[in-house]
Amino acid sequence: MIELRNVTRRFGLTTLAIKGLDLTVQDREFLVLYGPAGAGKSTTLKMIAGIVRPTSGDILRDGQSLLGVPPERRDMAMCFENYALYSHLSVFENLAFPLRAKGVADSEIQAKVTRIAETLGIPHLLERRPGFLSGGQRQRVALGRAIIRPASTYLLDEPIGHLDAKLRHRMRAELKAMARDLASTIVLTTTSSREALALGDRIAVLDQGVLQQLGTPEEIYHRPVNEFVASFVGEPPMSFLDATVEQEGGQPALRLRSGHRLPVGPGWAAPLRGSACRLGVRAAELSIADQADDRHAVPVTVDQVELLGHVRVVRLGLGQELIAVVVPPERHLVPGQPLWLAIDPARLHVFQDGRAVSHPAMPTVH
Amino acid sequence: MLQRPVHPAFSTLRYALILLVVLFAAFPIFWMILTSFKPPGDIMVSPPRLFFSPTLDNYVHAIVDKDFLRYVTNTLIVSVISTVFVVVLGSLAAYSFARYNTGDGHILFFILSTKMFPAIAVVLPYFLIFRDIGRTGIGQFLQIGLDKPGALIISYTMFNLPFAIWLLVSFFQDIPRELEDSARLDGLSRLKVLRKVVLPLAAPGIAVTAIFTLIFCWNEFLFAYILTRKTWSTVTVGVESFFTLQGILWGPVAAAATLAVLPMLLFVLAMQRWMVRGLTFGAVRG
Repeated sequence: MIELRNVTRRFGLTTLAIKGLDLTVQDREFLVLYGPAGAGKSTTLKMIAGIVRPTSGDILRDGQSLLGVPPERRDMAMCFENYALYSHLSVFENLAFPLRAKGVADSEIQAKVTRIAETLGIPHLLERRPGFLSGGQRQRVALGRAIIRPASTYLLDEPIGHLDAKLRHRMRAELKAMARDLASTIVLTTTSSREALALGDRIAVLDQGVLQQLGTPEEIYHRPVNEFVASFVGEPPMSFLDATVEQEGGQPALRLRSGHRLPVGPGWAAPLRGSACRLGVRAAELSIADQADDRHAVPVTVDQVELLGHVRVVRLGLGQELIAVVVPPERHLVPGQPLWLAIDPARLHVFQDGRAVSHPAMPTVH
Repeated sequence: MLQRPVHPAFSTLRYALILLVVLFAAFPIFWMILTSFKPPGDIMVSPPRLFFSPTLDNYVHAIVDKDFLRYVTNTLIVSVISTVFVVVLGSLAAYSFARYNTGDGHILFFILSTKMFPAIAVVLPYFLIFRDIGRTGIGQFLQIGLDKPGALIISYTMFNLPFAIWLLVSFFQDIPRELEDSARLDGLSRLKVLRKVVLPLAAPGIAVTAIFTLIFCWNEFLFAYILTRKTWSTVTVGVESFFTLQGILWGPVAAAATLAVLPMLLFVLAMQRWMVRGLTFGAVRG
């Protein structure tokens, strides 16, 4: 178990990369550090590795402080975002480097390097120097070098971010299988919400050096604690609408900024302070129709259509605000087309001052 | 890469200019070598003669009568040892500056500032210091004193270190920090990281620094002139010794100068590939 206790890291006098981070990584857990560029993911990883010192706070492993332990004695392996390949050595020697450092026998090195090169699809590149590889190939070498030896913890800094889509998909599966086989702790950083949700046992969402939320992918997706997490997890991003709560004849309703009224059930009452709030809704929770009916009561116009292959993402204009919906790809829509939108009040996330106040019920929790 | 077709006039002009520069740079050397084979009567005639009956008398005079090869040996010893000191000390210092920003740039600037005064300004104090050290037991044991190799080696190391450090710092800075971090995590200690990762990657830069230092030491005149008398004089001082009260012995001077230039010329030609690589391959790609 690795614990970060109130860890802060400053660069220079003004830049605070990490602010008071408390984070626990369980043994054999696959933890994903997820956040935008500059969130402090890499810095967190490097502090765990021991190559960046926290400005204040403590990092412990099984209750013992790691701060005095040099990186080479932490039994951790790391894959660097910029690959950090040894440009004076061949791909083979790069992969063999951690094994040679540990004094592994030549025959075993040969076998291990060959096997890892097969897994990563780079056996034909073993004799080349890193300078002659493409970005994706270098990234695979970097990943291979990190996972070639047994380690208590693997720290992977965006290990598949620069691969092409097909390879990334395959490597995601490989990483998942690897996590199962290695039975080691893995901490991975990513800027892709898809990768975070697919890989993590738990996800730590970071923004500007502050931990926003730590939880399982389900929790992060269905129970985002604030607008940042809600908007940052899931594709397409959650849409937000400003609203005020109205009581008209004992029947509460939401008044949208566009002026539309959305009646809500009497049991809806979210614990609000004041009446202004922000509604968050996932694209998949909305439906549209060509004609108005009981459910489809909000008039909208198509703003932009984007084909993702298996779905079409449609941005709808609702007054000044935009709202994203997914429709089947065969549904043909053109910008400017008027439509009717159904918003189910039971499926709304409600936020106030950026913080979540209530969430829709989780779909079948197992 | 696509290259734009160049107008033939331009390419002719380009080669003409290159030829001009090469002639300008190479002609004195050519003339020196030519003169070294001329008999005395053909040297100072006007107009100058390109064709004459070559003789080795000048070389015999320089090598046998003046013992010029001893100067070459002296220079070799002093230059090589100084270069080793400069490269070892310079690499350690430069690595420290590049990686840990030792002294926040102030020390680095101070080191450069020692290059801002002319050598002549310190040569007299050096003379006095080495004279006094030479009279002590330690000075005699370490061969530090007037007309001793130690004095020259210390002076050359001192005077070439700033340049070497400045050159090396940029090479070390080009090595991504992550490479060292990665090697640490792979299980190497700090010193092993230096040996297995940093030094191999900095090798072209170290080679360039060593070559330059060697050339500077080899060609140094002022310190050698002031700090040595006879036994440990270097080639530059040796050539100067042909400028006698009786007159300048142009033939032997040219022969001695050729002997002084030749080792460095061959060395640099052999190292040319390395130098170009080191100077242009600044960035380490990985």
